[in-house]
Amino acid sequence: MAAGVDGIGGTGLALRAPARAVPLAAGLLLASLLAAVLLGPARVSPAGFLAVVADLLGLAPLPAEFAGDRAILSVVRAPRALMGALIGAGLACAGAVMQGLFRNPLADPGLIGVSSGAALMAAAGIVFGGGLMGSRAGLLGLWLLPLLAFAGGLGATFLIARLAMREGSVGVANLLLAGIGVNALCVAGLGLLVAIADDRQARDINFWLLGSLAGARWVHLPVLLALVGLPCLGLLRLARPLNALMLGEREAFHLGVQVETAKRVAVVLAAVAVAAGVAFSGIIAFIGLLVPHLVRMAVGAEHRIVLPCAGLLGGALLVAADLVARSLAAPAELPVGVVTALLGAPFFLLLLRRQSA
Amino acid sequence: MITGEGLSLRRGGRALLRDVSVQLAAGEVLAVVGPNGAGKSTLLRLLCGDLRPDAGVVLAEGRALPAWRPLDLARRRAVMTQHANLAFPMSARAVVGLGRLPWHGHPGSARDEEAVREAMARAGVLPLAARAYATLSGGEQQRVQLARALAQLDGAPRPAALLLDEPTASLDVAHRVALLRILRELAGEGLAVMVILHDLNEAAIGADRVLMLRDGAVAGQGSVAEVLDPPRLREVYGLDFRRLPDGLVMPDYGAALGP
Amino acid sequence: MRRRSLLAAGPALLAARAARAVPSRVVCVGGALTECAFALGAGSRLVAVDTTSLVPPAAQRLPNIGYMRALPTEGLVALHPDLLLLSEEAGPPAAIEVLRAARMPIRTVPDGAGGEAAVAKLRAVAEALELPAEPMASALAEDWAALDAPIAALPTRPRGIFVLSGSSGAPLVSGRDTHADAAIRAAGAVNLVEGYRGYRPLSPEMAARMAPDFILMMDHALEAAGGPEAVLRMPALAVTPAAAARRVVPMPGSHLNFGPRAAEARRALALALRPGATLPALPERPWLRG
Repeated sequence: MAAGVDGIGGTGLALRAPARAVPLAAGLLLASLLAAVLLGPARVSPAGFLAVVADLLGLAPLPAEFAGDRAILSVVRAPRALMGALIGAGLACAGAVMQGLFRNPLADPGLIGVSSGAALMAAAGIVFGGGLMGSRAGLLGLWLLPLLAFAGGLGATFLIARLAMREGSVGVANLLLAGIGVNALCVAGLGLLVAIADDRQARDINFWLLGSLAGARWVHLPVLLALVGLPCLGLLRLARPLNALMLGEREAFHLGVQVETAKRVAVVLAAVAVAAGVAFSGIIAFIGLLVPHLVRMAVGAEHRIVLPCAGLLGGALLVAADLVARSLAAPAELPVGVVTALLGAPFFLLLLRRQSA
Repeated sequence: MITGEGLSLRRGGRALLRDVSVQLAAGEVLAVVGPNGAGKSTLLRLLCGDLRPDAGVVLAEGRALPAWRPLDLARRRAVMTQHANLAFPMSARAVVGLGRLPWHGHPGSARDEEAVREAMARAGVLPLAARAYATLSGGEQQRVQLARALAQLDGAPRPAALLLDEPTASLDVAHRVALLRILRELAGEGLAVMVILHDLNEAAIGADRVLMLRDGAVAGQGSVAEVLDPPRLREVYGLDFRRLPDGLVMPDYGAALGP
Repeated sequence: MRRRSLLAAGPALLAARAARAVPSRVVCVGGALTECAFALGAGSRLVAVDTTSLVPPAAQRLPNIGYMRALPTEGLVALHPDLLLLSEEAGPPAAIEVLRAARMPIRTVPDGAGGEAAVAKLRAVAEALELPAEPMASALAEDWAALDAPIAALPTRPRGIFVLSGSSGAPLVSGRDTHADAAIRAAGAVNLVEGYRGYRPLSPEMAARMAPDFILMMDHALEAAGGPEAVLRMPALAVTPAAAARRVVPMPGSHLNFGPRAAEARRALALALRPGATLPALPERPWLRG
C-alpha cells in the first residue's frame, strides 16, 4: 500500500478505499449540474440543447427557433446551477472545517454568527432601504442587499472572534459562548426588525430566510468564485491541522501545528465563504451542518477526504435541491432552503439508523 | 536535550511552580514523582511549550522554546498527554498515523507505513489496528497513544525527547512493566525520556534519575536511591516508608491505617 | 442618409410589426391586473396568474406562479409568455433582473389606490394587451365620480380599523398609504390608524385608545382567524366599541384591488360600514360579469 491518502493521516472507521470518494463526489456534482441544466419545468429538446451548446462554443449560429432555449439554458439555468454549486460547496466546506475546529459534529458556520449576522443586515436593508433597492434604483439597488448581508455575516464573525480573544488566543469554548451571545443578539435584532416591518417587508424577510437562487446571473459568478471558491481552496489546505486537532489542541501543537494560526485562518475563510454565498441566496439550512456529517459517516474522519467530499457534495445537494425547488410546484417555486432540508434530512436519518443498527 | 531553568508559574493567585530547574539529557529516563497537585503536569506542560513560564526559561538544545518552529520541535519531541479523546470516530491505526503528521513533506515520510506498523508492534497494539479507538479500554487507548508518540519520533534526528504524563495510569501490571521496558529501550536508543509516574516503585525500576516535586517546588533530584529515601518520602508524603531490596520502597500501611 | 436608412428599414419594420401578433400568452402578476385583463375580455389569453389573482373566479382555475414577491424565474420562462404583466409590487428585484436578461417581454404597471389609479391600471393593461380601453375605462371613471356626492351626503362617518390578518397573535392593522386606508376613505369613513405606514401589529392599548366603531376584514382572513367571534375575543380587539357592538365587517379581498370593479367595491363598502344606509345603484356593466 502506498503512503497515500489511505495511509497515514488516518482513514477513520470506514476502511473502504476512501480515495475513490473524491472522484465519486465530483461525479455527483457534475451529474447534478448536468441535470440542473437539462431538466426543469421549461422543456428543452436535445436538439435545442445541442444547438445552444454549438452556439456558445462558436461552432454554429443559433437557429432562430432555439432562441427561447438559449434563454432558458444560458440565462436562467446555467448561472443558477453554477451559483448553487459554489454556494453549496462553501457552506459544506465551511461546515466541515467548523466541526473539525470545534471538535464537535454538531458545529456549523452558524455558530460563528455568519448566518444570523447576514440575516440581521439583510432584514435591516429590507426594512430601511426600501427606496434604495430594486432594479429601479439601478446597480446599487441590486447589489445593496448582498453587500449588506455579506458585511453583516463578516461583522458578526469578527465581533465573536474579538470577544472570544483572551491573551492573544482564541479559545474554542470562548468562541462558542461568544457565538451564542452574538447570535442571540442578532436573532433579537431580527425579531425587532420583523416587528417594526410592515406586512410586505416581513414577508420579504421571511422569503430571504428561506433561501432562493432565483436571482442568479452570470455577473454574480466571478464574485462568488473569488469570495467562495478561493476561500474553499484555502480551507482544503487546513486538512492536516484539522486532522491533528482531532486529538485535541494541545496534541495538535505537539504535532507541530500552529494552532492559533490555523484557527484564525479557518474562521476567517469559513466566514467569507459562507457570508458571500448567503449574501446572494439568503439562508440555506442543513447543508453546512449535515453534509459534512454525512460525508464522515461514509468516508471516515480523514479531513483530506472529508473536506473536498463535503464541498463537492454540498454543491451537488444544493444544485439538486434547486432543481426540485423550481420543478416540483411549477410554474411556482419552492424556497430552496426548505428543499435542501427535505431532501437531506431523511437521507441523513436513514444513514443514522443504518449506522446504529 | 531539554532544560528548564528557574521555572515559575502562577495561576489565579496560586503558585503552581516555584523556581524549578530540571535537565533532561539524551539517553536517560527521568521520572517525575510527587503528591497530587505537586506541579508534575504543569512542569511537563512548560517543558513541551504548552504553557509559557512567568519566570525562567525552557531551552531545547540550547535554544529557547518560543524560538522554535512548532514543526521543527515536533520532529524531535513527542508528548503523550493524559486524556486524549477524539473529536470524531477513528480507527486505532489512524490515531497512530496522526503521529506521522510532522513528517509530511519531509523525506522521512517515506517511512510512514513502516513507522506506524513498528510503533504499533512495539506498543503491542497491532491487533487493535482496525478497532475503533473509542471502543478500546482505557489501557488500550493509552498504549495506542504511546504508539502514536513512538511513530512521531521514528526517524527523528538525535537528540530527541519523549515526554509522558502518567502513561501507566490505566495499565495492568504486565503492561506497566512492558511500558517501562520500552522507555528504557528508547533511552538506550539515545532518546531523552521524561515520564510522570505515581508509583514510586515504577520510578525506582524504570528511571535513571528521579525528580520529586512538592507544592510546586523541587523536593529532591538525583539518583533513585538518593531521592526515594524514606526520611525524604516521609517529609513529602507524610507517610512512613520502608526500604525494600533493589531500591524499592513500601509505605508502612500498618502504621498509617492504625490498628 | 438617415432618410435612406429609414427607407431601407421600412419594409423590415412593417414585416416585424405584422409578425408581432397581439399578445396571446399572457402571465398576470397582481390581482388588479388579472381583473383588468378579464374585464377587457382577454381572460382567455392568460396562461398563468399569481396568488393574489382571485377575481374573477375563472382566474383561480389558471396555473399559479406563486407569491408575487418570490417570482419563479424558470417557471415564468417555461410558460413561454409573449407578455409578462407585472404589478410594480412584484419581486424580488434580482429575479426580475434575470427575467429581463432572458428577454422576457415585461410590462410593469403601477399599483396605486383610488379611482384614478384604477382607471390608469385599466388603460395600461389595455395598451399592453393591444386592446381598446373604451368603453370600460370611461365607464369606471364615471361610476367612481358618480359616487362622490352621494357618499359625501351620507349622514355618518364611521370610524374604524382594517385588520389584515388576525390568526397569529396581535392583529396586523393597516396604517397610512395602504390600499385599505384608501378604500376606507373612499367609502367616506375614517381609518383611525394614522401613526404609521403599511400593515403593523396593533397593541391592545392602542386599540383601546382608538376606540374603533368597526373592524373591517377580508372575508378569507376573517375565516382564517376563526370567524367574527374569534376576532372579537382577541385581546387587542375585545376592548373596543366595535366588539361591544359586534361590528366585524367582512368584505371580498378584491375590494382592495382598485381594478375595474373599484367603483362597485367603493359603493359596497360604503354601505357595509353603515347598516341601513342607501346609495344609488350603479349602471350595469356587462364586462364585469363572470
